Amino acid sequence: MNTINDTEMIIEAVLFAAGDPVPLDKLAEIIEQDKKTTRGILTNMQYKYQHSSRGIMLRELDGAWQLCTKPELNAYIARLGPVRKKQGLTPAAYETLAIIAYNQPVTKAYIEQIRGVNSDSVIMKLMERNLIREAGRDDAPGRPKLYETTEEFLRVFGFSSLKDLPPLEMNEIPEVVEKMPFD
Amino acid sequence: MKSALTDACTLRLNNFEGPFDLLFYLIEKNKIDIYDIPIFEITEQYMEYLSAMQEMDLEIASEFLVMAATLLHIKSSMLLPKREETATEELDPREELVLKLVTYKKYKEFSQILREREAYWEKAHYKLPEAIPVIQQEDELEVSPLILRQCMVDVLNRSRERMNDVSKKMQRILDHEKVSLRTKIREILGMLAKGVRFCFSKVFSPLTRSRLEIATGFLALLEIVKIGKAEVEQPVAFGDIYVTPKKPDK
Repeated sequence: MNTINDTEMIIEAVLFAAGDPVPLDKLAEIIEQDKKTTRGILTNMQYKYQHSSRGIMLRELDGAWQLCTKPELNAYIARLGPVRKKQGLTPAAYETLAIIAYNQPVTKAYIEQIRGVNSDSVIMKLMERNLIREAGRDDAPGRPKLYETTEEFLRVFGFSSLKDLPPLEMNEIPEVVEKMPFD
Repeated sequence: MKSALTDACTLRLNNFEGPFDLLFYLIEKNKIDIYDIPIFEITEQYMEYLSAMQEMDLEIASEFLVMAATLLHIKSSMLLPKREETATEELDPREELVLKLVTYKKYKEFSQILREREAYWEKAHYKLPEAIPVIQQEDELEVSPLILRQCMVDVLNRSRERMNDVSKKMQRILDHEKVSLRTKIREILGMLAKGVRFCFSKVFSPLTRSRLEIATGFLALLEIVKIGKAEVEQPVAFGDIYVTPKKPDK
């Protein structure tokens, strides 16, 4: 069990059996390699899956790795039988999620300041969908709750980590104005 | 009175996420440069939307009213003649609103990206974890087998003391006899049904029956005599008791 191919074989088997994302540390432990080497192997595998005629692909989710089917093949998978479509999010939910994603951890007040509307129910919805979670409390007066995105957020929107978010071109905006004229 | 705008907006009223959303719609619809908003026209159109909402009896969220107030405030401050000395330093009253709008727009655009990414990635399918019976790893404890043995012996000794073992003192286990008057009555009636005279001490003999059974049998016999189903005679005191079936009185 020394060659690269053997190691890839092991990782594939482990990931298949695990189903859930397996943290890099765990994989390194299993193949008895350091994290850097393991990461290299995984990236290499990811490339191979993508560029060969395979039905599955390798995804990184916040430092953990998971196998899934290639989205391009969904049409064929759907032929297995009728697929129930997940209920989509509302525009308000996407908006709120966008604000949380770029500013996390963030308070409800901050979200509402940008959106200009009350965001209680939309935050609840996102929590229910496990796209965001509470992340402690801010030091500000009243110690408001902070929110951040979850691993599920990365999975649903196809990001490998928060660093993967496209840069938000905010250069022309100095800063979100702290005081609203209609506060 | 309904304007064309009123008609057009009825379709979309509910779809606005908030005042910023509505403002954006107006800005895009009028192809306005966001950094140079003609505040008069925008305010006017915004108000027209609000009145259309009222016309439709829709409850207007307070946020929309606050924005209306803000717009009117900006509009009025732009109407005021600028004071000479502060003219250079004075901010454009629209600036704060523009900043907010631009910020909001960024997230709005990103939320569109999110939507597209979701549509693509929801086509990927994941596998549930295998139900592999993984044994929970426990911390290893380094202990000499001798210590473990001593602990076990101690445990056994302690439990023995607590148990108050009486098994050695026990010689035999008594069986609890179940004899009921009812079953004995039935037994005697069964014998009487044969219509033959019999001797009580032969049937309830101390050789085959327990003391309790004989006593209960005797009580049963008395009961039967009382209800008139049999006659008894005892020729000699402490002697045998003869039981004769008795025909029911006619």
